[in-house]
Amino acid sequence: MKASRAFAVTKRVLRDLKNDRRQLALIFIAPLLVISIFGVAFTGSVKDVRVVVVNGDTAVGNSSLSDKIISNFDTSVLNVAYANSESDAVGQVQNGSASAAIVFPSHFTQSVVARASGQTSVAPANTTITLLADKSNPNVSDPIIAAVNTAVAQTIQGLGRQAPVSVDSSNAVYGANAQFIDFFAPGIICIAVWQLTTLLTLISFVGERTSGTLFRLLASPLKESELVAGYAVAFGIIGIAQSAVLLSAAVILFHVTIVGDVLLAFGVIALLAIVSEGLGIMLSSFARREAQAIQFLPIVVLPAFLLSGVFWPIQAIPEWLRPVSYILPTTYAVEAVRSVILRGWGLDKIYPDVVALLIFASVFLALATLLLRRRE
Amino acid sequence: MKDDVCIRNLEKDFDGFKAVNNLSLRVKHGEIYGLLGPNGAGKTTAIRILCGLLRPSSGEAYVLGTKVPDPGVVQNIGYMPQELALYRNLTVHENLAFYGEVFGLSKQQIETREQALLKLVDLETSRNLLIDELSGGMQHRISLACTLLHQPQVLFLDEPTVGVDPDLRASFWRYFEELRDAGITMLITTHYMDEARHCDRIGFMRGGRLIAEGSARELLELTHTDSLEDAFLVYSRTEELQ
Repeated sequence: MKASRAFAVTKRVLRDLKNDRRQLALIFIAPLLVISIFGVAFTGSVKDVRVVVVNGDTAVGNSSLSDKIISNFDTSVLNVAYANSESDAVGQVQNGSASAAIVFPSHFTQSVVARASGQTSVAPANTTITLLADKSNPNVSDPIIAAVNTAVAQTIQGLGRQAPVSVDSSNAVYGANAQFIDFFAPGIICIAVWQLTTLLTLISFVGERTSGTLFRLLASPLKESELVAGYAVAFGIIGIAQSAVLLSAAVILFHVTIVGDVLLAFGVIALLAIVSEGLGIMLSSFARREAQAIQFLPIVVLPAFLLSGVFWPIQAIPEWLRPVSYILPTTYAVEAVRSVILRGWGLDKIYPDVVALLIFASVFLALATLLLRRRE
Repeated sequence: MKDDVCIRNLEKDFDGFKAVNNLSLRVKHGEIYGLLGPNGAGKTTAIRILCGLLRPSSGEAYVLGTKVPDPGVVQNIGYMPQELALYRNLTVHENLAFYGEVFGLSKQQIETREQALLKLVDLETSRNLLIDELSGGMQHRISLACTLLHQPQVLFLDEPTVGVDPDLRASFWRYFEELRDAGITMLITTHYMDEARHCDRIGFMRGGRLIAEGSARELLELTHTDSLEDAFLVYSRTEELQ
C-alpha cells in the first residue's frame, strides 16, 4: 500500500466536503439539531401539574398534619386546587382538568398521632392518604407520587421524628451531579457519527459507482485497499470534528459533565467512524442508485439507536435480544465514550471496548476492500 | 508494427448471457481502432476487460504485451468511461490534481501537464470552476483531460462523444488524431457510425461478436455501400442469415 495514494483519496474526500455546503450542513448542523432536541426534551422536568386535594382532616388550625403536608408540596411541580368531595376531585381527573386527586381521610391528624403513640386500634384507612392519579402517563403521575411522598417525609422529619431505617445516597462513586442528559449525550454523539458516516460513505460510494469515477480509479495504480484507507482517514477526521462540535454543544447548552480525557473519547469516536465507513462501502455494493442506498438507513440507524445502550442500559434489554446489542459496534463505542466522559476512565479500563471496535474496523475494512476487488 | 492491444477468443458470460462472444482483434501501435456497434453489442464489456475491471470468462487479452488484468500495466493505460467520471463538487484543477496524484505524478508535473491539457481542450480559463458549473460539453473535455494527464501509451475511450454536440465531436476527433500522430494507440467505442471514418481501422460488433473488420474504405467497398451505417446493416443481415 502506498500512503501517498491513500492520502490523495483523503484530500479528495475532504475537498469534496469543503466545496459542498449541503453535505457540510448535514454533517454538522443535523447532529447539533438532534442533540439540541434531545437535550431540551430530556432535561425538562414536569411542572405545574394540577392536583385536586380533598382534605377531610378534622383537626383544628396549625395542628393539622394534612395542612403541614400540603404546605410541604413542591409548588413548582404541583398546582394545588381543592374540592369538597372525593367524587368531585375524581371527576376533575376524569374530565382531564386535573392529573390527580389527593384525599386526606377525616380524623387524619388524630389517627396518625394515636398510631404514633402506640395505639393499635386505629384503622389503617384513617392514616392513609389516597392518591388517585391518571396513570396513563407515567411521566406525569410518577413526579406527582414522588412529590407527595417527599412532602410526607419532610413533614414527619419536621415533627422531629426519624424513620428507623435511612439510606444515604448523597455521595457517588461516579457522576455525582449527573443528569439524564449526561448519560445519553455520549450515546447521541456516537449514534450521530455512526449514522452520518455510514450514510455519507454509502452515498459517496454509490456516487463513485454511478458517476464512473470508481471505474476510472480501479483502472489506475490506486489499489482498493488504498481507496478504503483514504476514505477511512478522511471519515476518521470528520468523525473527530463532528464529535468536537457535538460535545462542545452538549457542554455549552446543557452543561454536560466531562470528567475524563476528551482526546481519548475523540479517538474512540474516530474509530467508530472508521467502522461506519467500512459498513458504508460494503452496503454500497448492494445499491445501484442513491435512492436504494437511503433504504439501508433504517437498518443501520434503528438497531443502533435502540439497542446500543444510548437511552437505557443493555441490562434493561430482554435477554434474548441482547446478542443483537453485542454485535453492534455502537454498543462498545457508547460504553467506552460514556465511561471516559462520565467516569473518567482511561485506556487501561476501556480497552475491551476499544479492542472490540478494532476488530469490527479490521473485519469491515477487509470486507469493503474485498467487495471492491471483486471482478465479475 | 507491434500490436499494443491483442484479444484472442475472448468471452464474457454474465449469468448465462454472453456479452462478449469469441472476440479476437488486434490494435497496432499508433493506430485508432474504432469498435462500432449498437447498444448491448459488447463494446463496453470488451473495454472493461482490457482495463482490468472485469475478468474474462475465457480467452486472453493483452495490453502492451502484458496479459490483463495486471496491476503493472495500468500506469500506461488511459481509460475514459462512458460516464464522465468526474467529481462534481471539485474544481477542474482539483479533479486533475487528484487523478495526477493517483498516478504518482509530482506537483510540478501536474501543474505543467494541466496547463498543456487545458490549452488542448480550450478550457484554460475554467481551471478554478467546479465541475457542476461547467456545461456538458466542457465536462466531457475535462474528462478527456483527466484521461490524458498521466501520458498513457494506450487509450481506451468508451463512447467519448455520446451526448456531445457536433462541433465538440469534431474537436474531439481532432484531438484524437493529434494524439495518434504523437504515437498514442487508441481503442474507441462508438455507436455513431459516421464518426468511424476518423478511425484507421474499424471493427463492427453485434451480439458480442466481431462481424467485420477493416478500414472504412475497405468496408464500404466490400459491401458496395455509401455509408458505414449501411455497411454495418449489410454485415448485420448476413450474420443473421448465418
